[in-house]
Amino acid sequence: MGRRRQRVDPAAGARAGALPEAIAALSRSLPSGPSPEIFRRAKFDRPEATSALWQLLFRVLSPLPVGNALASLALEAQAHLVKSALCSQGYPRLALAQLPEDGSQGSRELLLALSWLLARGPVPEQMLAQARVPLGDEMTVCQCEALASPGPPAPHMEAEGPVDVRRVQWLMGKLQFRWRQLVSSQQEQCALLSKIHLYTRGCHSDQSLGHLSVTEAEMLRDPEGGQQASGAGVAQNLDPAYPKCLHSSCTPGMGPRTFWNDLWLVCEQPGLLPGDAAPLDPGGASACSLLSPLRALLQTLERENQRLEAVLAWRHTELVFWRWMDTVLGTCAPEVPAAASQPTFLPWVPERGGGELELVVRELQALEEELREAVERRRAAWEAKAGGCGRGPEWSAARRASREAVEKELGALQQCWKQDSGPARPHGPHRLVRREDGAAGERDLRAAEVIRTLRSQEACLEAVLRRLQGQCRQELARLVGALPGLIWIPPPGR
Amino acid sequence: MLPADCSRRLVAELQGALDACAQRQLQLEQSLRVCRRLLQAWEPTGTWALKPPPGPETNEEDPLPACTPSPQDLKELEFLTQALEKAVRVRRGITKAGERDKAPSLKSRSIVTSPGTTASAPPQSRGQAGQAGGHASDTRPTKGLRQTAVPAKGHAERRLLSVGDRTRVGMGARAPRPGAGLRDQQMAPSAAPQAPEAFTLKEKGHLLRLPAAFRKAASQNSSLWAQLGSTQTSDSMDATAAKTQFLQNMQTASGVPQPRLSAAEVEAEAGRLRKACSLLRLRMREELSAAPMDWMQEYRCLLTLEGLQAMVGQCLHRLQELRAAVVVQPPRPCPVEGPPRASPSCRGGAEPAWSPQLLVYSSTQELQTLAALQLRVAMLDQQIHLEKVLMAELLPLVSTAQPQGPPWLALCRAAHSLLCEGGARVLTILRDEPAV
Repeated sequence: MGRRRQRVDPAAGARAGALPEAIAALSRSLPSGPSPEIFRRAKFDRPEATSALWQLLFRVLSPLPVGNALASLALEAQAHLVKSALCSQGYPRLALAQLPEDGSQGSRELLLALSWLLARGPVPEQMLAQARVPLGDEMTVCQCEALASPGPPAPHMEAEGPVDVRRVQWLMGKLQFRWRQLVSSQQEQCALLSKIHLYTRGCHSDQSLGHLSVTEAEMLRDPEGGQQASGAGVAQNLDPAYPKCLHSSCTPGMGPRTFWNDLWLVCEQPGLLPGDAAPLDPGGASACSLLSPLRALLQTLERENQRLEAVLAWRHTELVFWRWMDTVLGTCAPEVPAAASQPTFLPWVPERGGGELELVVRELQALEEELREAVERRRAAWEAKAGGCGRGPEWSAARRASREAVEKELGALQQCWKQDSGPARPHGPHRLVRREDGAAGERDLRAAEVIRTLRSQEACLEAVLRRLQGQCRQELARLVGALPGLIWIPPPGR
Repeated sequence: MLPADCSRRLVAELQGALDACAQRQLQLEQSLRVCRRLLQAWEPTGTWALKPPPGPETNEEDPLPACTPSPQDLKELEFLTQALEKAVRVRRGITKAGERDKAPSLKSRSIVTSPGTTASAPPQSRGQAGQAGGHASDTRPTKGLRQTAVPAKGHAERRLLSVGDRTRVGMGARAPRPGAGLRDQQMAPSAAPQAPEAFTLKEKGHLLRLPAAFRKAASQNSSLWAQLGSTQTSDSMDATAAKTQFLQNMQTASGVPQPRLSAAEVEAEAGRLRKACSLLRLRMREELSAAPMDWMQEYRCLLTLEGLQAMVGQCLHRLQELRAAVVVQPPRPCPVEGPPRASPSCRGGAEPAWSPQLLVYSSTQELQTLAALQLRVAMLDQQIHLEKVLMAELLPLVSTAQPQGPPWLALCRAAHSLLCEGGARVLTILRDEPAV
């Protein structure tokens, strides 16, 4: 099965030559992808393929990029988390949940699970995009990353006893202060960023960009990383504090993906990058202790290019793979839906407030109530007014026209939440580019538009906040108003 | 005092918000440091690629630092750097009285005083020389200083430069051409911008040039990403059909013909309906606040409100359906977030764009407004969340507290301040004693 054939149209059928190619491309395109041999063993349910597949599934399903902490989890823990994540995504096969977590069997089942994930979405591309090295100054427009990134709750949550409510007030004030600080630092950083872009205009090889980003400029300024060295000479470890200093080098949007963070990962964890087991330079000492930022950057870029090529190859040849997977599925016995309940899995990341359904129901019911009152009132008023009107033809025509117009409007409104995402709502980080004329291609965002969107979002949120505060005011007034002998003086100024 | 569990939850929530803020602040400060450093004078490391504006390009290849230096070279380097440290000390003594420019001198002072950073790296000493001389335009005093200083030291410097470059260039293929290139630049007429000297981004920023290897890799990278984007759109129909078929086979093989609602899907639906609720409410507000001019408008207003009511009814109906489905067939007892990298509010959309998209701005003002608005939206989000949490915790306390003495009054006051004023203002309570 290892014979290479002429490149024929893979759609022509499952040829013996195309399948290894496809699997090889797939394994090259996934981070620390298992060798094609593993895939073949898994088809025959060989036990030695199991642990590699557990680990691969873990990496694919992990909601956060796999850092040191996650990568060093024991196999059992990884397997458990994989089961939990698949479960929540609605994986149909029950056999997976019943697999032992020590990696002793079940490789065929895992292969099926992997293919299920691959069929549902563009997994290699997503993983690549997630691990991407941001060369520019990135800004995230939508709030997804901000929502997705909170890690496990901070451990310094001392088991406090009862606290005074004044402490809560104090914490609130502290929070307000921190936000103000954040705003002013942010403004300064934008000014500096803008200056750097301005001063380096005209020197980027890519014409559409036109100027250097902070990352690129920093790399030019200090390609060796030697200037941060504490101690004599160049001969020392790339000071781990150095990349951390540039941790989130230039992201006004403060996204979690950062160039220097990745570099640090590269330097400290060579095994995390695909296909990289060898030390980075033949004669060097420990693997990456003497790596300069420029060198590291180049290597990551090159690796990314290799993976990109693998993904493209995979896309061209994947049809064969799916035909093969059908045969694999065929070798499994059909399952019987289990009457017994499934074992419970703990959620991977602590969920934020269960009972979503209940909350929404309550909100909608409250809204329904308000609408009912409003409609009754208006209907009564209308009937009173229009009762005396004639029922002429132009009157009914006008009414029909109104009705149609309203229906169309409301239909458009319904589309706003019916479709999963807003039209062309851009997603993910964008590279900041300064242009005097503000010209932008059709896929690019203009700052002015984003500002408009953000302003409307701001207005929306402010309205919500005011409404909530008004609700509280009413509620509190109701609770305390009944007490005699007290005068409540609201605070001045509004 | 608040009860223990309530306290715990509130403090945890607020502390979490504070920590998130602190983390962002830290990141910002680190990046600020980088940016500030970039805008100050750059220490010449001798390995930049500056575009020599006029004159022939001696070598297209840049002095790309290759692999690591050998241990022997490193030792040599150490000795040399020690010698240079001494030279720096001596020179500093000489040039202290000399003319100093504002930016470079700032830099030198900061280098000198920064803890743990010795002025030991070879480039720095030359940087000192350069700085003492000032900018590139002012090279004559520099040269003069170099000459008046002990010539041996200058010689050592130049030797070091060549060694350093050769070392950095590394073993193997690279000839000392890059080093030679730099040396050429160094001896070049003073008019040309001299690479070894310090400069600021402001003056020479537009002359910088990225290393060739990097340029190649980066352009290949962006073209590959673009290719990826285009193959996505023109995905082969066969492959898509094969995938759907496979998924269906998986479903039927598992014995359950209809895919069960996963927790993720339920959550997504609930999220959609929540969005619907807020949109409907917004629309209702608009209609109620608009003053109808004539009967036609009033009629339309009425129709709209009735339409909204109907839609709310539909949403509630759908929710009841979901609820029922959840009860009958629990959607997997593991309500965890859904597919990786998809958040409830902002799905990937029809086609995630793989190639990098640009965000174009035209002035500092614009960028600052943009960033400020982003922060404001995030802050408002957080405030709304906190408001809901506070409401859930404090309102029940106020309503159920039995002895309505001063502690309860204090609680009311605090609750009002937190809930209604965002903690910014506090109301006053006056006890109105009945006249005796």
